[in-house]
Amino acid sequence: MPDQRTGILLVGAGFIAAAHAAAIAASRRASLVGIVDTDGARAAGFARAQGGVRHTRDLVEALGWPEVDAVIVCTPNDTHVATGLAVAAAGKHLLVEKPLATTVADARRLADRFAAAGRVLAAAHTHRAYDYGRTVRQTISSGAIGQPVFVRLAILGGWIWPDWSSWILDPRRSGGHALHNGVHLLDLATWWLGDEPTTVFARGRKQTAAELHIYDYLEMVVSYAGGATAVCEMSRAHRPGSLAQRDLLVAGTDGIVSQEWDGESAMLFGEGGTALVPAAGRDGFAVQLESWLDAIRGGTPAMPVADAVRAVAMGVAVEESIASGQPVALADVMAGAPS
Amino acid sequence: MSTRIGVLLAGFGGIGSQDHQSAMYLPAFAARSDFELVAAVDVAGTDGAAKAAREYRLRLYTDLADALADPAVTLVSVAAPLAARAEIVGQAIGAGKHVLADKPLAATVAEAEEIAHRAAERRVVVVPAHHLRLGGALQATRAAVRGGRIGLPWNVQADFLVAGGDPAPTGELVNLALYPIDIVRSLLGVEVRRVHALAGSHLHRSPQDLVTLLLDHEHGVTSTIVCGRMAGLRDVPPAGVVVHRYRVSGSHGMLATDATKPAVRVHSANRHETTWAGPDTVQALLDVVHAGVMTGHAELGPDDAVHVQRVVQAAARSLRTGRPVDIEPGSDCRCG
Repeated sequence: MPDQRTGILLVGAGFIAAAHAAAIAASRRASLVGIVDTDGARAAGFARAQGGVRHTRDLVEALGWPEVDAVIVCTPNDTHVATGLAVAAAGKHLLVEKPLATTVADARRLADRFAAAGRVLAAAHTHRAYDYGRTVRQTISSGAIGQPVFVRLAILGGWIWPDWSSWILDPRRSGGHALHNGVHLLDLATWWLGDEPTTVFARGRKQTAAELHIYDYLEMVVSYAGGATAVCEMSRAHRPGSLAQRDLLVAGTDGIVSQEWDGESAMLFGEGGTALVPAAGRDGFAVQLESWLDAIRGGTPAMPVADAVRAVAMGVAVEESIASGQPVALADVMAGAPS
Repeated sequence: MSTRIGVLLAGFGGIGSQDHQSAMYLPAFAARSDFELVAAVDVAGTDGAAKAAREYRLRLYTDLADALADPAVTLVSVAAPLAARAEIVGQAIGAGKHVLADKPLAATVAEAEEIAHRAAERRVVVVPAHHLRLGGALQATRAAVRGGRIGLPWNVQADFLVAGGDPAPTGELVNLALYPIDIVRSLLGVEVRRVHALAGSHLHRSPQDLVTLLLDHEHGVTSTIVCGRMAGLRDVPPAGVVVHRYRVSGSHGMLATDATKPAVRVHSANRHETTWAGPDTVQALLDVVHAGVMTGHAELGPDDAVHVQRVVQAAARSLRTGRPVDIEPGSDCRCG
């Protein structure tokens, strides 16, 4: 029987590539073909760690490997558009780390190119694949809380990227924190509400260091066409540095669904102080991979391309709102980007 | 001479169908040995005074001026309809009486400022009923924040959702939102300089029953207040609190406070509820009033009401314009 597994090429051997590789290893429907990284030594090291898969510095060469059916891109955000266009030109499917692109125009170019090529494009909004994200969505869909009208979602951390050389700290490369991490929350809240965002009002802080060029704390408030509101906080600015908390509350016309900071953890009281011990759960990257494989096999995409484009627009609106101090209409952001 | 403080109950109304005089203040005073209920007067055609007078054997007045002239009255508990409230508080001050006023103290910033000015002039204590800030968890939170335990605070996130009860006909911005605005100020001690507000009519299907306030304070501190009234929920009494919490982030730590605590949880065959296990906040408010009357200085005063009213008014303007609204520093508004 011929191998029915989808052959996957990883592009970018940074730390998030390991999570994707683990998901591929756990799947019965996928296999890792090889790795591309502009740093040849890093590509070789990653390939060895993955059992000796192929590796190269040249994306075009790798896209020509016959076993490659699909590509997962985990390179810096500003490279997503060029890499994605090459993948589309090669006729491969693509799962690209969020954000889809750092501008709405680039996000649309990618969406259009994959649509024309008849290949599946998905952005890795992994929180849609996490247990909590799916549980809240299912609770809302069941009608248990009526029509959802308010979302509070906070993801608070105390760790900043390791040093000044990190590309994430450079807004020209990452697009800023709203594009890099903010889009997770913006997309998730919007998915839960099942409504169209209309306006974004945001505030940002440079809490860890005044010299930062990105906002390590973001508060992003979204208004929706149906009147709902979402307050989303994304932080790498909190203290202590070990802090890792998520807080969610969705209020509807008939009730509330919530998970507070201790909602999925045990509490450890140790000699060194107290700490949360998170419960074991499903691997969101594995769930995300299987959803993408379903879509490649003709299933309904769990993360439609239009939603990924919209997430980019919301991220751009957040950065614009922080800069101006005023609310920003999504329609204006979308209108500013040619289709 | 008796050390008990003689109380006149003036007004038995509020916003919409509210009657906090009968529901909150009267029973709270009646439970105290340091206050003495002596008289009652209606001010807006209600019959609450007659009922209270019958039940508690109080002198019943039909005219406010006559009631204020009663020499046994030291303190006036004002719970008049909002449109008449400032006028009645003003008359009580004019008669040299101390005042406990239902919240909000007045309908406008100008009225609240006038009350603050006149109370200082006549050297009487006016305590607005911002009693939720006196809850056990919030008092401890304030002490921790002001004591530097999280370093310099830079953000507060507040949620205050109640279920059931009578919605405020003019929206919860002028009713429920007062409490978290006051509490955030109490916790931080920094004035609000800019307000952006969002509101919808969803949860209870009444006007502006869900309000989101995005506040910029002095020193670059920010806060966000979400406040609303939902439809009634199972096992929650009418107007019962469903969510009431504050997360304060500081330069050296974070404090997450559930303001519904201290509490115990009760699960039984028939119900699942959380029961408040701390001192009653209305009684704590009367402690503040008592100390104020005795010492001439109260922990809660008209300046607190002025501040809250400034935020409420700026928020109302923001809701009309869809834009953030600046608040100019008030020359006579101290920060508690």
